[in-house]
This record gives sequence, C-alpha cells and structure tokens, in this order.
Amino acid sequence: MAFELREGVFVLDDVRNVSIRIGKVIEEEEEWEEAGPTPMPGIMELRKWDHKLLERYEPFYAPVQDFCNLCTMGPCDLSANKRGACGIDLKTAKARLVTIACCIGAAAHTAHARHLLDHLIEEFGEDTPIDLGPDVNVEAPNIRTIVGVKPKTLGDLRVALEWAEREIVKVLHATHIGNEESLVDYESKAMHVSMCDHVGMEVADIAQIVAYNLPKAEPDTPLVDTGFGVVDRSKPVIVVVGHNVMYARPIADYLEEHGLIDQFEIAGLCCTSHDMTRYNAKAKIFGPISYQLRVIRAGLPDIIVSDEQCIRADLLEACKAMGIPLIATSDAAVRGLPDVNEWDVDKIADALATGKLAGVFLTDPVKIGEVAVRVARAVFEKKKKGELFFESEEEFKNEIAKCTQCMNCVFTCPHNLRIDQGMAHAQKTGDVSKLAKLEEQCIACMKCEQVCPKNIRIINVIMRSNLNNLYAKTGKTRVGRGPVQDTEIRKVGQPIVFGQIPGVIAAVGCVNFPDEMGDLRIILEEFLKRRYIVVTSGCHAMDLGMIKDEEGQTLYEKYPGNFDAGGLVNMGSCVANSHIAGACIKIANIFAMRPLRGNYAEIADYILNRVGAVGFSWGPYSHKAASIATGFNRLGVPVVVGPHGMKYRRAYIGKPWNPEKWWVYDIKTRQKMNIEPAPDALLLAVETKEEAIVQLARLCLRPNDTSMGRQIKLTHYLELSQKYMGTLPDDWPIYVRSEADLPLKMKEELLHILESEHGWKIDWSKKKILEGPIRPYDAGFNPTLVEEVYEKYTKGK
Amino acid sequence: MATERVKKEEKYPVARRYQVADVQVSREAQAVKPEVIVRLVKKAKHPVLITGGQLLKDEKLVEYAVKFHEKGIPIIATGGSSKPLIEKGVKPQSAVFTLHQITQYMLDPDWKGFDDKGAYDVVLYLGFLPYYLSRMLSALKHFSKITTISLDEFYHPHARFSFTNLTANKEMHYRMLEEVINGL
Repeated sequence: MAFELREGVFVLDDVRNVSIRIGKVIEEEEEWEEAGPTPMPGIMELRKWDHKLLERYEPFYAPVQDFCNLCTMGPCDLSANKRGACGIDLKTAKARLVTIACCIGAAAHTAHARHLLDHLIEEFGEDTPIDLGPDVNVEAPNIRTIVGVKPKTLGDLRVALEWAEREIVKVLHATHIGNEESLVDYESKAMHVSMCDHVGMEVADIAQIVAYNLPKAEPDTPLVDTGFGVVDRSKPVIVVVGHNVMYARPIADYLEEHGLIDQFEIAGLCCTSHDMTRYNAKAKIFGPISYQLRVIRAGLPDIIVSDEQCIRADLLEACKAMGIPLIATSDAAVRGLPDVNEWDVDKIADALATGKLAGVFLTDPVKIGEVAVRVARAVFEKKKKGELFFESEEEFKNEIAKCTQCMNCVFTCPHNLRIDQGMAHAQKTGDVSKLAKLEEQCIACMKCEQVCPKNIRIINVIMRSNLNNLYAKTGKTRVGRGPVQDTEIRKVGQPIVFGQIPGVIAAVGCVNFPDEMGDLRIILEEFLKRRYIVVTSGCHAMDLGMIKDEEGQTLYEKYPGNFDAGGLVNMGSCVANSHIAGACIKIANIFAMRPLRGNYAEIADYILNRVGAVGFSWGPYSHKAASIATGFNRLGVPVVVGPHGMKYRRAYIGKPWNPEKWWVYDIKTRQKMNIEPAPDALLLAVETKEEAIVQLARLCLRPNDTSMGRQIKLTHYLELSQKYMGTLPDDWPIYVRSEADLPLKMKEELLHILESEHGWKIDWSKKKILEGPIRPYDAGFNPTLVEEVYEKYTKGK
Repeated sequence: MATERVKKEEKYPVARRYQVADVQVSREAQAVKPEVIVRLVKKAKHPVLITGGQLLKDEKLVEYAVKFHEKGIPIIATGGSSKPLIEKGVKPQSAVFTLHQITQYMLDPDWKGFDDKGAYDVVLYLGFLPYYLSRMLSALKHFSKITTISLDEFYHPHARFSFTNLTANKEMHYRMLEEVINGL
C-alpha cells in the first residue's frame, strides 16, 4: 500500500488507541544555487564585513543628551566621554541607543510582517504561491541572500520571518546593561538588526502583494488623488491611518460588495493609504503623518480607523475633540479602548454613532468593514457642515489677536518656526501671508500649543491662514508597484554598474523636512532631468503626489514609472523599501551572475564597489527610518539624510584625506591597491537642498566606474557643484584616473587646473595625463574588500 | 546704525536655549559679548569661520562673512553658502563638504585642515539651522578640545561660547557681528 506523507492526524485501523500526528513535512530542498558562506547569519557571521565598513566609514556621534538614565544606578553624567556607573562611555552609550532605535524599527516591520503573514496564511492558505508576475523570477532577493532560502509559497516565508525574529531578540538582548562594551560591535549589531529589518519588510510586502493581488512590478499603475483636498465633502468620509492594510481592506471590500464605493470617500494617512490604493485605486491619499492633525482638526473624517506605527499618540484625544469616532485595530496601539470583538455589529455601530463610546478596539476584519461604513454614514448625516478650523473669520482673527509674541512656541518648535513674527504681522496689517507660509513647513506636532500661555490654537491658525493653498495642493500619486522586474534589471544592470546611468536615487522616509515640502520635488527633478533613476516609497512618495508645477503636474505625471533612466518609480509603502535593496541585489545577481544564496558579504561588497545607488531621506524622524538606512548601509548603499537626521546621533563618515583608509584587493592584478574615496560616507546629514543635490551626485561615484561612466558621473557632479556651490567641487581631482574620466566639455580647462594647481604632469600634444592620479584606469579592474571573495575568484585561476 | 557698538546700558537678552528641551547635565555655553569673541579670535593660532546654508536666505549674513574674510579669517563654506560668497570675491577653503563631514574631520587630531596648516583651534559658526549646528557643537564639546563659538541669533548651549539669544532683536545681532568684525 502506498502511503503519502502529509501533515495531519492519522489513526492506524488495526492498532487500537494509536494515532500518529505528522507536523511539518520537510521536503528535500530544491538545489537552486550553491549555498554561500552565511545562510541565516547570527551576530558573528557578518561582523568581519561590518568591521571592514566601520574601519573605513568611522562612526560619528553627536549626543543629544550627555547623560544616561536607563538603569537605577544612574542617572549618570557621561559628558566629555566619561563613564557611567555600569562602565559605559558616552560614545558607546550612543551606539547602544542607535542599536535600540534600529531594534525598534526592525521590530515594527517584522511584527507587521508576522501579523500579516499569520492572518494571510489563515485566510488564503500556506500553499498560496508566491507569484510576483511574469517578469519576476528572483522573487525575494533579500531573503535569498540573507536567509539563504527561496520561498515558493506564503508558508515558506515563515522560515525567513522566524530567523529575523530570532536575530532581533538577540540584538536587543545585547543592549542590556553589562553587555557590549565596544562601540564598533554595537554598530555591527545595529547593522545586523537593520538587515533583519529588510527581511521583515520583504516578507510583509511579498505576502500582501500575493494575497491581496496588489500590483506586481507593473510600471504603469494608476494615478490616484493625493492631498488635503481629495475628498468630496458631500459624501461620508472614512479615513484609515497607519501602516497595516489588513484592517483597511475589508472596508473597501464592504463598500464594493454593497455597491457603495461611489457613495463614500475612503482616504488614508501614512503608508496604509499607499497600500489601500494598491488594493483599490478608488481609495485616495490624504498625506503623511504631518497631515493627521490637519485632517482631523478640519473635521474631514466621519470615522477614523487606525492600525499601527507613526500614528499620533494622542489620536483618540484629537478625534474626541472633533467628535470623530475611532476604531483601533492593532494590538500594537490599543489606545486604552474597550475590546468589542465579542459584540455584534449593531451594538458596536450604535455605541460609536451615538457617542456612547469615543472609540473601540476591534480586530475582526468583517466587523470592521461594516461598522466603519455604518458609523461613517450616521456621523455624516448629523454632522454640522461649517467652515474649517474656525467657525468664522471673526473667531480666527480673535485667536491671532491673543498673541503676545512671548516666543515660547518658537523655542519649542522642532524647526524654530517664527510663529511670533507671523502673528505680529497679521495683528498689525491683517495680512496672514506670513502665517500661511508657515503651513508649508509645519509638521503639525502641536508642541507650540502646549506652551502657549494664551492657549492659542496655533495649528488651526496656521492651517486656516493657508487654507486655499492647502486645498490646492492636491495632485496625483502613481500607485506603488512593488518589486522591480528582472527584465528591467537586465536592461539597466550594465549601464548602472559601468556608470552610463549615473545613479539610482532612492527617496524614502518621513516628513520632518527642514523647509517647504516643495524642495523635495526640486531635488528629485534635478536627477530625473539628468536621467538618473529615481525610486521612492512611503511618505516621500505621497508628498511627491501633492507638489505640482506651474502646469499643475506632479512628477508622476511628467516621468514614467519604469525602472530606467529618467524613470520615477513608486515602490509603495514602507515595507516596499525592501524592493529597493532587492533591486541592488538583483543587479549583482542578474547582471553580474553573483550567487545570492547565503552570500551576503560578497553581494554587499559588489554593491559598495559597483552600484551607484544612494538613499535619500529628506525628513527622517522614525526608528524605522533609522533601521532602513542602517540596513542599506550594511548592503553598501550610502544614505543622505536631511538636517533633522543629525538627531539619530550617529553617522558613518569616512576621511578622504587619509589614504590608508581607501584600498581594495584587485582580483585582476592580484594586488592590494589604493583607490579614490568613492563613496566617502555611508550616512551623512546635509543642511540645505543645495547641499543634498551635490552630495547625492557625489556619492554615486564608485571605484568600478568605466571611463565613460566616470565621465558622466563627474559631469553631473561638477555641473551641480557649479550650479549650487558656485564653484567646482574641492575634491574632483581625486576621482580622476585618466584624461578619459574628464567631462568632455571641460576637458582642457580641467587639465590646466590639474597641472597648474595640483602639479599633475600632462602631455599636451596628446592631452594625456602622465602623472598625478591615485591609480590608473584599468578596464579589467575587479575590486573587493573581502578576502574570501578575493580568494574565491583568484584561487586556481 | 550697523556700525554702532552695543551700548553698555543696553540690556542683553537672556541666553535662552534654541530648544527648550535640549537640557544637559554638563556645561553650557558661556553667553559672551563681542569683545570677548574678539579676544578669543585674536589669541587663536589657527581660527576659521564656517558658514552655513542660512546665508542663502539672509544677505546680511553674507556681508558679514565677507567682512570676516577681509579681516583675514579663512572661511569654510557649507550648505551652498559658497555661492554668494564666491560671487562677492571670497575664496573659501572648502565649498563642497558638509558641516557633518568637516566636524568628523575636526574630531581627528591628525587632520591638518583644508589649508594643511594643522588643526583649527578656534572655530566660529555663522548661518546655520539651529538644530543642525547644535548636534555638531555637541560632538565637538564632548570629543575634542576645539573652542567653538556660535555667532548665530539663537543661543547655542553646546558651543564653548555663544552669542546670547538674539531672536527678538535682529538689529542687535547685526550690531554684535559688526562689533566683532571691527575689533579684529
């Protein structure tokens, strides 16, 4: 008799009282690729790679506090690098703090992935195949490279998730008092846990793409309405906020099933809105976290459904103040609300619609869909439809009149916005334009209102001052597409590695911008015009959907959505950031045929030396942004952050003036050789948009650039420096290996500068550099920092 | 009048931290008058002025930076501030590196400076976003012996010396800058 081995409980007919339970059946794994050296790495396996990076890109610490109060022996004064009661010094304490931040970020995405995956396996089955469309064969580049497995089904993703969860706990343990004493090893752990973050993100996004049939690497996704003015106020408005679409989806389903989708508005705040539009393009995007109070204080929602991450911790209070019922759906943010999962729908809907309860905690997706719709309709019908932010112009003016210019608000505002000057100008002249200008910069954090001795509703004043423009800032976002196609990588892999496509700029992260949101467009359009590839996700991606030019177009309407030169690619929500790392990894794999399986250090080394990709977070604030960036850093991708990014306290900045730091092994010549410092930083904060543009172009340079590639990259770097810095950059000569690297239009001028100011020898008859560069250009140059990679490609050859 | 000294009887504003929550247990900057800064710079072996991105928004700051340069104080320009300075004939020691990079270099005693003359001992700062500059000053406060002096309108607790809080009186800020320059 043939016996098929499968999971389940079996009773043997002839053996009384004996049953056999078969748990997971381990099938022989397909030999898809030779196993690399570090599958499922622990803390130690990639430490050597981290130390290589950290030797070159030295950690920089900028303490926000010079004390530590994490244990009961303290508080301890660590100033001037003194040691605390536990023995830790200030730098190591800051390294620990950054490691903790990265743990929080990684845990957020990974727990999100766990939540989704368990739910989706239950709803759709563990055998649901991972199918990301016909053009994606390398389905999970992070998981393949890091964990060393090739997932084929939703169930297979569990292995990767379990590995990530285990490693996050291990790193978090290392932050306990009395553990690590080396700041470099703390940084290695921060990199390790941040690499886990990219696995967690990849699990989450693959799972939701597959189960919810979100766009599968399609460049031409629909354009959806984005901005404060997206909703038709003559319809009930349901607002979803957070990052986990699992709970917002049933609302769209309920509306569709009952033929109500056109009678309601469903709009989102933060990444849930991205994923809602990926699920149903009739959904709309209100905006990022800084739009929460704008939308709530305006009274636009008739109900709010919250899930997790980057949601205001006073959401319930803010909703209560406006009479907006709240449904909290994630156990990560229960908000003190009663658990009503056991109640029937009528009872829940009645409690919310009548105001008996300000909010409820409800996780049953089916009930959420129906309750949200019924309550929104009931609230809408009885809602008074008045003016926004203030009931009348007189009330608005009276509020402004209260200001005494004490400046308490200025000294608590994260941007030190000059609210006092805006108020004073409005009081004297009646002109609110200075206050209106603040709306473009305000993140609506509400700190100002708490210190105002006159209890002025400052947020409302600022928003009301710019109400027309706030409405007008409504545009289009291209729906997040998910991963990059393998076919796209085949097309652009070579020009990226050789440098003909000058770089990939990945604009991701939050909205703690130093100035107006419009600067983000200016920065990115500079690169789109110059035919860089620009990818984006999360809050940056939705901000781009509300910044229009004179013709009323957003960048999404001007530039195509394919991963190619001059393309603007919206990957999706935060967890879609994993596809950006994935695209870098795929270049190493698909173009260069480097094996992925458990082969992280080789792939990261390849990316660091060859792939001119730079992360860019103009307004970072979250812990997730810290772990995303640090994960990119370990993968060899530098990241530029806006000025608030300094408050992460730690950066990785190399010293280009120290030649000892800049070397590689050349597999071709079998020599250890000095190279140009490219890139010379892994994590760097800039102050202005001008500086951001120049640094992004600069950090796209890579040692492996061909002459043509280097010429193109230097052309952009030099042009941008002249445009924004008013001069050639100080350091351009160190990137010149031969005359062929020089921008064609400036070649003669630059040769003269090299000769006269830097003492290089030039053969003017041939316009050839004879002496001067750090190293000559060699077309076969094959750099690596990793001894094992060097040995692998030289041994016996 | 811009060239006028701040009169003795004129009351200096309180040194109010640029950010109320930026509270430290170690020393805070000494809020100083222009003449103290003049003495510090005159005694310095290798002083430098670092300019920031706010020069792109305030032409007066550009004018003052130019005057510092005319008095022989070398300039490291960051944040794009090189552009207006170069247009006015200043040749900064560096234009492309960020304050973040420069601070990292300054923390290394082996760095010889952009002019190869050795470590800078007194560093003046002008024209920065307060929260951005603050973290750099914190790094230098804890991990170097460099004397840092903030000339910005917000009082900077992490500097060694700083102008007091001048946010309510821009004219006084300009007068104090003028007074420093005139004293050099």
